[in-house]
Amino acid sequence: MRSMGTSFAAMTLGVSLVAMAVPALAQTTLTLGSWRTEDLAVWQDQILPAFNAAHPDIKVEFAPINTNEYNAAIQSQIEGGAGPDLITCRPFDVNNEWIQRGYFASLEGVAALGHFTDTAKAAWTWDGATYCVPVAAVLAGYYYNVDIFNELGLTPPATMAEFTALLQKIKDSGKYEPLALGSAESWQLAYNNLYSFGPAYWKGEEGRLGLIDGSKKITDPEFVAAFQAFADLKQFLPAGQESIAYADMTQLFTLGRAAILPDGSWNINQVTSTGLNVGVFGPPAAEAGGQRYLQEMPDMAIGINAKSANVEAAKVFLDWVAGAEFQQLYVNTAPGFFAMSDQAIKYENKLAQDFANLKTDALLTPRLALDRLSAGTPPLDDEIWRLLQVMYTTDTTAAAATEELQKGLSSWYAPQK
Amino acid sequence: LISQGTARRSLILFVLPALVVYLAFAVLPLLLSVIQSLFDSSRDGTSTFIGLANYFYLFTHEVVSARFWNALFNNAKYFAIHVLVEVPIGLLLAAMLTSGALRTSEGVYRTILFIPATLSVVIVGFIWRLIINPLWGIVGFPLLGNAVTALPTISLMGVWQYFGIPMVFLYSALIAIPNDLVEASRIDGASPWRTFWSIKFPLIVPQFGLIVILTFIWTFNGFDLVFALNGSAPGPNYSTDILGTFFYRTFFGSSGQVADLDLGATVATVIFTMMLAVTALYFWLVQRRLRTHML
Repeated sequence: MRSMGTSFAAMTLGVSLVAMAVPALAQTTLTLGSWRTEDLAVWQDQILPAFNAAHPDIKVEFAPINTNEYNAAIQSQIEGGAGPDLITCRPFDVNNEWIQRGYFASLEGVAALGHFTDTAKAAWTWDGATYCVPVAAVLAGYYYNVDIFNELGLTPPATMAEFTALLQKIKDSGKYEPLALGSAESWQLAYNNLYSFGPAYWKGEEGRLGLIDGSKKITDPEFVAAFQAFADLKQFLPAGQESIAYADMTQLFTLGRAAILPDGSWNINQVTSTGLNVGVFGPPAAEAGGQRYLQEMPDMAIGINAKSANVEAAKVFLDWVAGAEFQQLYVNTAPGFFAMSDQAIKYENKLAQDFANLKTDALLTPRLALDRLSAGTPPLDDEIWRLLQVMYTTDTTAAAATEELQKGLSSWYAPQK
Repeated sequence: LISQGTARRSLILFVLPALVVYLAFAVLPLLLSVIQSLFDSSRDGTSTFIGLANYFYLFTHEVVSARFWNALFNNAKYFAIHVLVEVPIGLLLAAMLTSGALRTSEGVYRTILFIPATLSVVIVGFIWRLIINPLWGIVGFPLLGNAVTALPTISLMGVWQYFGIPMVFLYSALIAIPNDLVEASRIDGASPWRTFWSIKFPLIVPQFGLIVILTFIWTFNGFDLVFALNGSAPGPNYSTDILGTFFYRTFFGSSGQVADLDLGATVATVIFTMMLAVTALYFWLVQRRLRTHML
């Protein structure tokens, strides 16, 4: 009897405490869907406490879904009306599809969106309206072995001609492979090579958007020149490059047998894993004094579910996500990811900071063929992979390759017909 | 005694669990897939009946049909290499195992030879990829990077992994042959070579035919080894693309290719129909007429 009395008293106390707490907090709870299951601890321990320090009235639950199932799962959830308040957005075509299906609420009133350029927002913009706040992008450039460069007295090249001369010098030294590059995996021929130095020829966004609106063709001289530059690098590839895969390339470089590795920023941890002295340089300009370009590939962003009951709270959260505090926090938890806003962000990883510095005085551009140009058959991106591999494994010329690409694209893409 | 009616009822009762599972998990999905191939799904989630338009698209679209025929042709090569290399090796090893020449170590050899078949394809692909790697391996020539050699190379990796299956299959058929037949031939003065081809082989022809048709089914359903080595758009220039990877790309999409469930169902139906026709034809024309000799 006595124990019951005690627990009753405790209950009354508890209830009255809750009753007192409610008007003080009036919490809104938001759920955030994501494919980054590996980020769970980061969100719970670092990011969300930082957010709650400024906004104690909004509670955010990070609810990740397995990466491979994310697209299908989020689609069925949203269409069933059970989706999270906040949706992590895939770049370009998948998100374009989601926007057209009406998944997203408008971002009107999210002032901090002004920190992003049109290029940064392009992957999540449809008909002039942006639906997701950019979170992180990946960059592509050239890792180089600083010790080999010092030994041979080399400095990072500023133009493509200097780049070729530099590769020739390394080849002539006979001690090292100039380029750790093979064509067994075709995706990286496009993503880490053509899409990296190519924008210097087709002038980044000018060429990319030109293909999208149909005012330019892949058979135009600037694109053929980029494919030709790709072909010119073939002589610097290691013997047997036709079956050298991505992992082999990374090893060739980290073992100190090759001087330069064309790669993406996501590989930062692997290239430095053997304690190698690694530097990074950006894609050279097409000619002396020319503009430098850098591939910045949007990777993830966050948007608001149109069916969410807490759109206003979600906007408050996204306003914070677009700000410097979040961007700084997030990119430092995962080296290789880069903030896309124009605010100054510091990277604790030295190589990541070097990579970020490449953005200064370079024009940014995403991968060439992922926006609209690959949403039909044959998809331009897949075709570029294939033909770049064909160029490195047979005698196919730049002219023949670009012609075949244009033929495939104009067979289905209306603005190119 | 049980009446005939009761017997029939209990027969149905005993068959029912297996039948339900078979219908629900094999026949029904198959039918649904065939039905889906006749529809076209649109963005708002509705499907419209379009008859055979998907099939028409698959066989007439310039790019899609070219990829399909390429995958089918490659698959035929993939099958041919398996039949011409794997099955004879299996037969040879089975004959050697049952010849009596190995005496007591027969079991040891049988086990060792069967081990590759128990490995995961991912491991087999990885090991072979290292062995023939021009950087770290023993072959300087880029076997996997050349459009002519890539498919035979992958096929031979598959042969290396799976020759144990026909071996064990034919081995069990060979040891079932009564010893007196073999002894009789020996007494008549037949050489081991003659004994094998005139006595033993004719007795295992039905099993031999069966392993050929099983190899057909396995290779035309093949996917894992190619996918493990070369991904879902297997290069160079789709030279190692087979029906399984072609279907995977269509149904699940790839990096740049948007998944098309309806067309994927169409591809699956075409593959299924083809395999059904060949297998049925084989059983109807060949296997039915083979008779195990009266023993």
